[in-house]
Amino acid sequence: MAQLDPELAPNNAWTADQTRAQFYAIACLRWRMLVNGFRRKGGTGELIGRIIVYPVLAGMAFGPSIGAGIAAFYFTFSGHLDHIAWLLWGTFAFCQLLNINLGQPGSTFDPTQLIRFPLRLRNYVLIRLCFGLLTPANVIGSMIAFAIALGIVIAEPHLWLYAAIALLLFNKANILFSRMVFAWVDRWLSTRHAREVFTGLIFAFSIGIQYLNFTFNPAYNHGHNHDISRRVSFILSIYHRIHPLLAWLPPELTTSSLLSAARSAFVPYLLSSVAVALYATVFFATFALRMATEFRGENLSDAANAVSAPRTAKTRLAAASTAFRPSPVRRTLLSPTVSTLLAKEFLYLRRNLGLFMGLVMPVVLVFFFATRLAVRSGGASWLFPAALAYSLMGIIPFSFNSFGLEGAGSQFYFFAPLRLRDVVLAKNLVNILIAVLEIFVVLAIISYVAAPPPLWVVAATLLWVLTTLLVALTFGNRRSLSAPKKIDLTRATRKQTTGLSALIAVGIFLGSMAIASLLAVAAFFTHLLWALVPVFALLAAAAALLYGRGLHSIDRYALDHREQLFAELCKAS
Amino acid sequence: MPPAIAASALTRTFGDFTAVDHVDLAVEPGQFFGFLGPNGAGKSTTIKMLTGLLTPTSGSIQILGEDLFANPLEVKRSIGVVPEGMALFGKLTANEYLNFVGRMYGLDKQTTELRSAELLDFMGLANESRKLIADYSHGMGKKLALAAAVIHGPKVLFLDEPFEGVDAIAANTLKTMLQSMIARGATIFLTSHVLEIVERLCSHIAIIQRGRIVAHGSLDELRAGVQARLTPAVNGQPSPEARTRLTLEEIFLNVVGSDSTGASHHEQELSWLS
Repeated sequence: MAQLDPELAPNNAWTADQTRAQFYAIACLRWRMLVNGFRRKGGTGELIGRIIVYPVLAGMAFGPSIGAGIAAFYFTFSGHLDHIAWLLWGTFAFCQLLNINLGQPGSTFDPTQLIRFPLRLRNYVLIRLCFGLLTPANVIGSMIAFAIALGIVIAEPHLWLYAAIALLLFNKANILFSRMVFAWVDRWLSTRHAREVFTGLIFAFSIGIQYLNFTFNPAYNHGHNHDISRRVSFILSIYHRIHPLLAWLPPELTTSSLLSAARSAFVPYLLSSVAVALYATVFFATFALRMATEFRGENLSDAANAVSAPRTAKTRLAAASTAFRPSPVRRTLLSPTVSTLLAKEFLYLRRNLGLFMGLVMPVVLVFFFATRLAVRSGGASWLFPAALAYSLMGIIPFSFNSFGLEGAGSQFYFFAPLRLRDVVLAKNLVNILIAVLEIFVVLAIISYVAAPPPLWVVAATLLWVLTTLLVALTFGNRRSLSAPKKIDLTRATRKQTTGLSALIAVGIFLGSMAIASLLAVAAFFTHLLWALVPVFALLAAAAALLYGRGLHSIDRYALDHREQLFAELCKAS
Repeated sequence: MPPAIAASALTRTFGDFTAVDHVDLAVEPGQFFGFLGPNGAGKSTTIKMLTGLLTPTSGSIQILGEDLFANPLEVKRSIGVVPEGMALFGKLTANEYLNFVGRMYGLDKQTTELRSAELLDFMGLANESRKLIADYSHGMGKKLALAAAVIHGPKVLFLDEPFEGVDAIAANTLKTMLQSMIARGATIFLTSHVLEIVERLCSHIAIIQRGRIVAHGSLDELRAGVQARLTPAVNGQPSPEARTRLTLEEIFLNVVGSDSTGASHHEQELSWLS
């Protein structure tokens, strides 16, 4: 056995080399976890998914950055440097929205596990800070801040140093703010009830944003400019009233520092910059405070708090029948197995606020959207298909990871006397029932805010929905078994499917939309709009046939893919 | 009467690695059967194949005389399973879960409700009626998983590490329940690393090592075999060591060998340990 390095002996003082080695080991760990993620079964699919998604993310990064840079140049060049504040507020809001929608670090690795190693608190805080630096939101936020600085410098080259320092400090404050907020949010979300409340708040916030969008966005308000300008004036009056307070916050302070630099007033520039730096320090200190509590080993999970209540004396129940009594045969549309599975699926739906809201959200948005567009277009016949297509987008992805929420529970379906066909059918029926419910609600909304669509439009649209849904379910059932994704309930923001499954779902939807649009255009130009109904009926029949064949062979497919299913769903959180 | 569990030439490979290699097993009805082995020996792989959670590369499995692959639904109806991951549904309450499982095994509504209530009461989970399973501790989850495995009155029960993470009081409750099932004619196939529990409960034992069965028989047969190997009789009389009753741990270590996992036990090689 090799002798242990004397430097590593506990009696010796901890060295900087050892600390560096710890940082290097953690960096390697992160890297290996990323690489090994692609080596697992389905990893190639994930890689393909990322290759397709990353250009989209790059667009999300470069688009706003280029826009912000051009705007910063224009404001500076035209002598409206004070308008940079708008860009900085926009950057701040955009980053927070991205953080909510694209997620925070730690989804593949729980960094609190590191506390078992001999780390100093300050190193632990630093490591936790570094874990969040490369999130999409922070990268995009930094790019936008850089672009704003660049825009200012191109317009006024002599401001280069001031702009660089001011925007660097702003970016630092921005990143530390989001790290601080999400560190505390994670602490508040440690219990299930808190998570549900938080999901509800996010839902309300998203609806509020959409309401503002539909109310104030000129794109949705043609012919109502008077109302819009009145509302915008009202918002501006509020802004002016609270401006003295906003002036003390980082975006306004950064703008003040830039204005001071432009006037060559160095002391005010310095004071504003120091104030932004102080904000960054306070955000960091608040973040570090949370990390220090984590470092001391708190455990806030529900399981940690699970304490059995003292047992109260209960009357022993009469012994249940010891003989095996099969269910009495009843004449119902669904078999008892499918009915029981269906009841369980609805319980899951009811208990999962995020899932539930994800399904309700499109209908709420359809209401906003239809209210505005119906006034503009006077109840056009395309409103119902468009609204229904939008609602359908919320339902389709759920069928691509049907077992994700059940985790290790999915094993039950394989050792119980069941046919996977029944399990999958029950899950699909939930999707179909939700679709039916949404169809009724959307039809009611459109009929109320505009006018009832013509019968042929309703019939053709319903047949198109049925076709799309059946095709999506056929592929979704297979992907649910061959490329499952364990859904982590402890994260408020989470992906519901694997990247490739999400792309396939979107592909099916867009493909179906394209076919339907082509057929509709052809019918329009040949004046045979009624012909859309039999054509879509034929497509629906073909989709039903495809779905039936898929369901027929699903048991075999499930048996062939159960190892992939268990490997993902039974893994430790 | 056919064996409760019969496996013949059961083999499972993962790429080049053979996890289970031509395993032959026969567990008679009414036996409390312990299936032991060091880590990575193939215990969980075997139990997964016996319960239909994993396809064997080759070999056959019969449960109560029925072929698992030819008649999977009938076989699954007569077995209960507590798998490695417990197979619970986190978003249900315990009562909802047991009702769901009972109905899935074909019990009628009334029987399911009665048995669910009785099992929850027996397991000490009756007062947690509103708590979701996701909020359960590990031990509570184990108790619930066992309750779910027996709700339909299975004739054969497969338990993968049922006592792991369970407190002494709960473990005693579970042991009592399992012994009463054996008394009523059920067959139990159990894997556990807690050899004291296996010794106390099981009448028959098989030991698997590197995917192969290396010992199989009643506890007394295994004990006699190991004792004979350890201490041959001197002048026709058993030696004093042989008269000492070997524990299951001693039998296990003797059969498997201390170097089975490749671990070294030369203490001097870890001299740096304080």
